[in-house]
Amino acid sequence: MHISEGVLSAPVLLTGAALTAAGVAVGLKKMDSERVPLVGVLSSAFFVASLIHVPVGPSAVHLVLNGLLGLLLGWTAFPAILVGLALQALLFQFGGLTTLGINTFNMAMPAVCCYYLFAFGCGFLAIFLSAILVALSLIFTGESFLAAAKVLVVAHLPVMFIEGIVSSFCLGFLKKVKPETLGMTHASV
Amino acid sequence: MQAFNPGPKPQAAQRVLAMAFALILVFMALAPLASAHKVNVFAWVEGDTVHVDGYFAGKKKAQDSLVEVFDSTGEKFLDGRTDQQGEFSFKIPKKTDLKIVLTASMGHKNDFVIPLSELGEVSPEPTVESEVRTKPEAYEKKMVAAAATSEVNLTRMESIIDKALDRKLTPLRKLIRETRQEGVTLSEVIGGIGYIFGLMGVALYFMSKKKS
Repeated sequence: MHISEGVLSAPVLLTGAALTAAGVAVGLKKMDSERVPLVGVLSSAFFVASLIHVPVGPSAVHLVLNGLLGLLLGWTAFPAILVGLALQALLFQFGGLTTLGINTFNMAMPAVCCYYLFAFGCGFLAIFLSAILVALSLIFTGESFLAAAKVLVVAHLPVMFIEGIVSSFCLGFLKKVKPETLGMTHASV
Repeated sequence: MQAFNPGPKPQAAQRVLAMAFALILVFMALAPLASAHKVNVFAWVEGDTVHVDGYFAGKKKAQDSLVEVFDSTGEKFLDGRTDQQGEFSFKIPKKTDLKIVLTASMGHKNDFVIPLSELGEVSPEPTVESEVRTKPEAYEKKMVAAAATSEVNLTRMESIIDKALDRKLTPLRKLIRETRQEGVTLSEVIGGIGYIFGLMGVALYFMSKKKS
């Protein structure tokens, strides 16, 4: 998903660069000395992952790993991805230097979103998968799977949203008040 | 709202670091280093025709990709799309430097320049061409004898030789295309990781200065 040089127009490139600069600034502010090694090692993992490409579909695609970086790094994924992409552009000629801003934003912003949406996603998906399992169980009573699944998922949509929000608030609260429950001694970001 | 933070607990942080290291090693082992994520374009001249070949590193053909041909001033001559083999051919429109730009899907783009010096005779006489095709050696001998007497024949002979050379060189060109180093080398990968670790050191240095 590296956009090459000369494909995009100047306004798009400049907007991308500005958004990336803002994201990197936030990331650097949140990066304390204890997190630097983790940021560096994950940046290396991102840098190397692009070499593994998956020969499926009409174009060449490769591993990206931005979800993993987002989950582990939060906003510090911005500087990590910027460094990884810069080195990919310089050493492998993937993407390019003028497109560095927009490419970084396209990879890092979803990573940060995933970081914040993780708990929401857990709450939401758990209900969804339960609905699917219930629908599977009902197959043996003669009900058609698709019809049952549709009814169950649609009926539970509001619950999915509510539980997603509740889960994310609970996790945020626990993290502040009682981080031991989450297997951490203290919250650093 | 945040999910996983390894936090500063020493063993936990070390474990995460060790796992990330392992991840890098596994990727480096998995990555067939010649394969990269980039579209390449290669073009060669054969007589009055230019053949364009588009492929992703890892030898995957760039099918149905836009090919555009420009002259040295940036004026567009023609465009077309590559076929199932990732190839596209066109007649040389004009004797000038040719810039061939290939645009594949998902924002991939690359170009290839054929300098003027590589373009042979643009429009050789068709009779010569067919005669050379059927009986090249005999025709060449005849031409060499005739060439001694006439200036015109000399230029004709030149075009015959060009033709013959094109034919002989085509497999060689394909070989060059196939062996051209387009991929990533191990030293670049290790160099990149080294850069990142160096940056880590710089960041830690400034942070430790701020603390003290």
